[in-house]
Amino acid sequence: MNRMLALLGKELADLRRNRALFLPAIIAGVFSMLLPFAVAVVVPALAGERLSDSNDFAIALEMYRDEPRLRRLEPEAAVQAWIFQQFLVLLVLTPVTGAMSIAAYSIVGEKQGRTLEPLLATPLTTLELLGAKVLGALVPALGLTVATFGLYLAGVAAFAESGAFRALLTPASLGVTFLIGPLAALAALQLAVCVSSRVNDPRSAQQIGALVVLPVTAVFVLQIAGMFQLGGPAIVWLAVALAGVNIGLILVGIALFDRESILTRWK
Amino acid sequence: MLAASHLTRRFGERVAVDDVSFELAPGEIFALLGPNGAGKTTTMRMLAGLIAPSSGTVRLGAEVVSRHSAPRLRGRIGLLGETPGLWDRLSVRRNLLVYARLHGLADPAAAVDEALERFGLRDRGGEPAAQLSKGLKQRVALARTLLHRPDILLLDEPTAGLDPESARDLRELVLRLRGERRTIVLSTHNLDEVERVADRVAVMRARLLAVDAPAALHARLYGPRLRVTIGQPAAPFLGVLAKAGFRDVQAQDRTLSIAVGEHAAATPAIVRRLVEEGADVLSVMPEQARLEDVYLHLVGREDAQ
Repeated sequence: MNRMLALLGKELADLRRNRALFLPAIIAGVFSMLLPFAVAVVVPALAGERLSDSNDFAIALEMYRDEPRLRRLEPEAAVQAWIFQQFLVLLVLTPVTGAMSIAAYSIVGEKQGRTLEPLLATPLTTLELLGAKVLGALVPALGLTVATFGLYLAGVAAFAESGAFRALLTPASLGVTFLIGPLAALAALQLAVCVSSRVNDPRSAQQIGALVVLPVTAVFVLQIAGMFQLGGPAIVWLAVALAGVNIGLILVGIALFDRESILTRWK
Repeated sequence: MLAASHLTRRFGERVAVDDVSFELAPGEIFALLGPNGAGKTTTMRMLAGLIAPSSGTVRLGAEVVSRHSAPRLRGRIGLLGETPGLWDRLSVRRNLLVYARLHGLADPAAAVDEALERFGLRDRGGEPAAQLSKGLKQRVALARTLLHRPDILLLDEPTAGLDPESARDLRELVLRLRGERRTIVLSTHNLDEVERVADRVAVMRARLLAVDAPAALHARLYGPRLRVTIGQPAAPFLGVLAKAGFRDVQAQDRTLSIAVGEHAAATPAIVRRLVEEGADVLSVMPEQARLEDVYLHLVGREDAQ
């Protein structure tokens, strides 16, 4: 455990000096945050129209009328709250992108810097090495999640109709952000670690890790189309499934991390 | 202390190391010599427990290095690879501190301070590793290798690319470590370096071609020789020595190189014959073993086969 913490400390110190790695996550976060504000606040203001007057958002009004604690919302606030709720799924992309970018680099970076041989020559076990690599990517990714969610809420409080902010603070929202987000990020970064154990180019690892982005995007599209709603039970089931995937990926990661191949085949 | 027994390592069809055996004593400097691809690095990695042999064993003290025991035994071994392998963005101190913690040292900060002092790096501790010269990086890497005070040191081409001054410093350090009874395995192409520091030399090309002290290797291949310097051109005296029973005599300028059975016994007869024939004998000394000759002879013979 102490050895893993020693390496984790090194990972975080190294990341602080390699801030460019956070750029993809920051871009994803900014994009995910700005998009709903453009749809819910900026475009209606520029067009001089109210979203609640449009039939396109009838589904939002209907949904909020079914929620007893949200019935008192003004129609415009209800539509905005619905939009901000749907786009919350996209915020999951922030930790996923950040974790992938960091994790893919963390092993390939050691290969490229030829720093892995002395590391492997210490008493460090494979589990400790991979544990430190995974946590080294997950911790900053979770930090990004908290920061992005905080900014998102602050933006909603500042620019949206009164009541939309409170409507957003539901167990479902928190579940998506703080349960599904980290679990999806963990899966993405473990995929990236698995792949980066076998390749010499961080981009290859990032591309495979990007597979996690596809289901997130699919959930978002299905929600917007009104075909699926990521509510309480769905979040729990999804979290359980992701936890299972993550346990599987830990085992695969250890199996794929072949010290001998790394030392003898990497040039 | 450290013993390799019938070590063999295959990579697919290729045999990188073939039936290599040797045993090292505490405080011994053992040099591995061989051309590129001779299996030196693979042997070092097997000794360090980083890769497993296809067959054969490595024994550290009473324990066999296995997949199970390797993580623990690696705590008694220090491996310096072909490249320093420092984290460029981190400071020298931070680089060492991580390794001090990985080795579970009781007081990592104190161990790092001591290492910085010992290797003359105290003023460079705060600098990012990327800013150091190659020689300094190698010094930091060596400090890292020695942080946990290993019994066994495996140094893979430690002076490659170093300037002469840094290479000399490193050689002196290796000799100091021998004084501390640490066993050192040195893989290198630098024959001069080996002659200066190694107690024994192993010439290998996948398999061991020869293992012995440098002088003994030379004697084994060429036998003992005397080097006689005279005041006249040496060539006319070849026949004189041949008549006196010395079959292998070489002349170059004013120097004769003579194969003898035993230095002390042959010297008076040679000097007497040369003086009788009018030579002015200026000096007589045992011919110094040249490791380069031994190495090229062994590797050349292997090539011919």
